[in-house]
Amino acid sequence: MRRLGQFVEIIVGVAFLWAGIVKLMDPSAFLSAILTYEVFSYKVSVIASLGVPYLELCVGACLVFRVMKGGARLLAVGLLVVFVILLSQAAMRGLDVDCGCFGSSAKSSEAGFFWPIARDILMLVGIGLGMIAEENANGSREK
Amino acid sequence: MKSVREACIISVVAGLCGVIAFFAHPKAPAFHVDELEVELEEVLRFEEAFWIDARSDEDFEKGHLEGALSLNEERWEEQIVDFLDAWNPDAPTVVYCSSQACLRSHEVAERLKAELGVENVFVLKGGWEKLAEAGMVEGANQ
Repeated sequence: MRRLGQFVEIIVGVAFLWAGIVKLMDPSAFLSAILTYEVFSYKVSVIASLGVPYLELCVGACLVFRVMKGGARLLAVGLLVVFVILLSQAAMRGLDVDCGCFGSSAKSSEAGFFWPIARDILMLVGIGLGMIAEENANGSREK
Repeated sequence: MKSVREACIISVVAGLCGVIAFFAHPKAPAFHVDELEVELEEVLRFEEAFWIDARSDEDFEKGHLEGALSLNEERWEEQIVDFLDAWNPDAPTVVYCSSQACLRSHEVAERLKAELGVENVFVLKGGWEKLAEAGMVEGANQ
């Protein structure tokens, strides 16, 4: 169970690393994607367009290389919850947004929100699985 | 508590990298784009305007503002020749893309300014959506 939890967390870490690298290759494209959500001001979006990719890179690297796991999990959960909220509000408002999740420039209509939201929820489940597996392993070691 | 401390450390490292990237990344977005932006009402007060459509070729073919010339980053080298042929230096150049969220018009306007020295170049605030709202083009955002 512990191995499975670790494996799933590493997969989630790789996804974060990939998302960060793709966004950093073209921060302007990511900025355009953020603006399509119509939530943040331009200046906040500029900060996010450079801050979020590095946060994803750091979180991904920590999850993959198993360092500062607790902090990385906390941030991963925070980021994923924010992503789900942003996508859900866009779906509810019927916005035509560019997900920006993995640097894609394809716009999502209301029907197209399902996969990005499902993917984020799956990643949340993965983090949860990693935490439970580690707690179980720690618990049995204490016994 | 340990997790919170670790999260803070990771956030600080990411934040520092972001600050460095803001100054060093070749594609870092500009913090101020407002200076080039102009409202449609203001453009309509110009005696004449030279319109540039910075959207993709596909969107341009679906519909564009009458008299607008297509100029986007994907086909810059080819389209710049047409631009130079048609460009009227006396008329303000107004660039539009699909919406306020779109940054293509800013990129094209900044490139015109930097590479060709076009001084009176503006970006239409709201882009195609604003033109559609005003009934100057047909249909919503492409």
